[in-house]
Amino acid sequence: MDFTLSNEQRSWQMAARKFADEEIRPISLARDAIATARETWDWDIIKKGSKLGFRTMAVPKEWGGQGTDFVSQALVMTELAKADSAISKAFSQNWKWSHLISSACTEQQKQRFLPAFVADDTFVLGKGITEPSAGSDNRMPGDDPKTGLKLRAERKGDEWILNGEKAFIANAPIGKLFFIDARTDASVAPRQGTTMFLVPSDTPGFRIGKVFNKSGWRFYQNGEMIFENARVPHANVVGDVGGAVRKSGGAGGDTTGGDLFGDLELASNALGICDDASETALRYAKTAKQGGQLLFAQQNVQLQINKMFMLTEALRSFVMRVAWEHDMKIHSRNAGLAMNYSCDVVNEVSELYMEVRGAQGCHMDPHTDKLVRDAFIWNHLAGDSVSRMKIARRLAA
Amino acid sequence: MYNLHLSPEQLEIRDTVRDFVTREIKPVALKAERLDVCDRSLLMAQIDAASQLGLRTLALSEDRGGAGADALTACIVTEELAAGDADIAAVLLESSRLAHLLFDRAMNDAQRDALLPKFLGGDRYHLAFAGHEGGTDTRLGVNYHRPASAAAAVKTTAVKSGGDWIVNGVKDCVANAPVAGLFAVLVQIQGRPGASVLLVPSDAPGVSVRAHDNAWLHGSCGEVAFKDCKVPAGNLLGDDAAALLTGAAAPGRGNPLAQALNLGIGRAAYEAALDYARLRVQGGRPLIEHQAIATKLAETAIRIEIARAAIWQAAWASDHLDAIADRSLPDLPLQTVAQVFASEAIMKATKDAAEIFGAMGVMRDMPLQKYIHDARVCQHSGDGNTDAKLRIAEELAGYRRAGNGAMALAGE
Repeated sequence: MDFTLSNEQRSWQMAARKFADEEIRPISLARDAIATARETWDWDIIKKGSKLGFRTMAVPKEWGGQGTDFVSQALVMTELAKADSAISKAFSQNWKWSHLISSACTEQQKQRFLPAFVADDTFVLGKGITEPSAGSDNRMPGDDPKTGLKLRAERKGDEWILNGEKAFIANAPIGKLFFIDARTDASVAPRQGTTMFLVPSDTPGFRIGKVFNKSGWRFYQNGEMIFENARVPHANVVGDVGGAVRKSGGAGGDTTGGDLFGDLELASNALGICDDASETALRYAKTAKQGGQLLFAQQNVQLQINKMFMLTEALRSFVMRVAWEHDMKIHSRNAGLAMNYSCDVVNEVSELYMEVRGAQGCHMDPHTDKLVRDAFIWNHLAGDSVSRMKIARRLAA
Repeated sequence: MYNLHLSPEQLEIRDTVRDFVTREIKPVALKAERLDVCDRSLLMAQIDAASQLGLRTLALSEDRGGAGADALTACIVTEELAAGDADIAAVLLESSRLAHLLFDRAMNDAQRDALLPKFLGGDRYHLAFAGHEGGTDTRLGVNYHRPASAAAAVKTTAVKSGGDWIVNGVKDCVANAPVAGLFAVLVQIQGRPGASVLLVPSDAPGVSVRAHDNAWLHGSCGEVAFKDCKVPAGNLLGDDAAALLTGAAAPGRGNPLAQALNLGIGRAAYEAALDYARLRVQGGRPLIEHQAIATKLAETAIRIEIARAAIWQAAWASDHLDAIADRSLPDLPLQTVAQVFASEAIMKATKDAAEIFGAMGVMRDMPLQKYIHDARVCQHSGDGNTDAKLRIAEELAGYRRAGNGAMALAGE
């Protein structure tokens, strides 16, 4: 077994660390503190990161991207998240859908969309699945045709007419191109009757509604999507009609795009939060005093720090193994397990971090406040019952 | 004799307050703009209404114009209020608690005659104890099972000048400071071994109050500065007032009102999750019919019930210290025990409740993220649970610290 990073992987890690230290961390708390959800996004940091390759690094080299491997991607997500979990996610969300383009789109579709995506520093991607009445139902589709998503797409000549709405969609307020799952056959189970479409933001009949006001990940925007007779060309159908679930990386599909990258993504990002928490806690314990002695002199503090690092390093081992397995094209079910585990770890590490920091009188510092709000995002994305059962069903499949 | 029946009066007041919260507090407290944790502005109209219901004067004895509620009753009321709005509960519990300690126990007749009519006369006349000072390390920490270091001397001074006391100093983290009509101020008087308590009306010359603009507190909290503040000589409370107000008289054995507030937060989250699990349909059935959610709800119910049991036991014990003497209860700081268990259990309960709401659990215009934040405030206010466990351990070890005025203050 060889755990050393290649020069290329190491250099991505170093570039991300530098960008995180010099550009992200200085703006992190201020962006988080902006009260209006619609205004937390900052194009300046996106453009700067894009010029360094952090927006397009999952696009293959032949299409003008950086063509990085999964190990490099995991390293970068972790480094960026160490400075700001939400900003890291704002970049990596593009990789998630870049992977999907690579695995699911035709050459012609790639030709239409990839060069434009690569060339424009403000071109970001998204995917609309969740709807107001279909959250868990979409993540774990059932067999009843009446359940699951409601957004309808009807064929009319060479176009599809979309009607309905999506909720909580990442990057919706600022994205230029979206993958949209819509029901094309309401008489069969969602798994068979759902089709994926490429929908540019300027599609007629398509608009963005409210921006959700989240407690954590405030930089990273989630919004409503509203489709009122939105007209999408048939050429924008991804894969087969009725094949959306398969193309998203579900059972039998690609083993590294879509969902499985998303699993690695959440685990890598959580690792960044854990790195931030453990290192900050250790630094604090070695400088702050209590009763005239360094905090670190206390057994309880040593035990808390020990546990923070133990869990963080265990998560790192898991994350790097999954990234490596993806690169080796090993059909592994570890990605989902690593994601679930990252939820447990990020929760426990952030709780321990608060205990080490403690409130200063009746004040909690803004960094701690942000860290625990960001960490709680995992509880509904990566570690809720649905995400755990979904992974269990993959194991049983 | 082992009896867990609530009295008819306790049941009645619980129903009355629950009804009041449902009708008057929840419709306002659950508005989207109010759920943003950055907005800590107090709902004064609802606090006034609660005062008219007698909740500001709840623990004050009946013959002095209050309801004479015992510790358990006060906890029941606090839980109900906090299930509606933790900030309202925090303001009222502090005024009610201090009303009993000050008017029933600490003041002499002349002090009471001068100040009680003012307190009874205004719904917005609240009480505050100004004990904490900035930069004071109140944690036990390295001094666990060791003599106290030269910590935490009170820096605010009171000096006699003619017929008056002249107060100088700054207090912070003072609960109710921005709404208080009267402060009980912990001061150091030269030549006295321990700290003393001086009554300072908020309109006394030289008093200035600055509200803390911070989301990590409940109710209304602030800094109080005294600059050559002059109060009459008669405003000094008796020698045992400092121990009474700081809790040093029975450390870790006080009325667990803060824990009852914590419980109200947990119950609000639990009830919201239960309602939602009945209504929301996914996978073709209501959430509650899914094993995974059912189990989570059961675990949440267990946490809430056991937390309440610990809090009620500590509340009852704080009124019946004789039950320790006759070996009915263990000689332990039961309030601290309840604090640690309840704050951890309710933290988990609010997170699980939020998870049942999916993405709506993290939205600022929905209540769940606020319950999580409120539970965090309870868990991490004061010195935290790591320190609380050390205080319990000292009692297990039978360790007694000499001259513990300052350390006992830390126990608050």
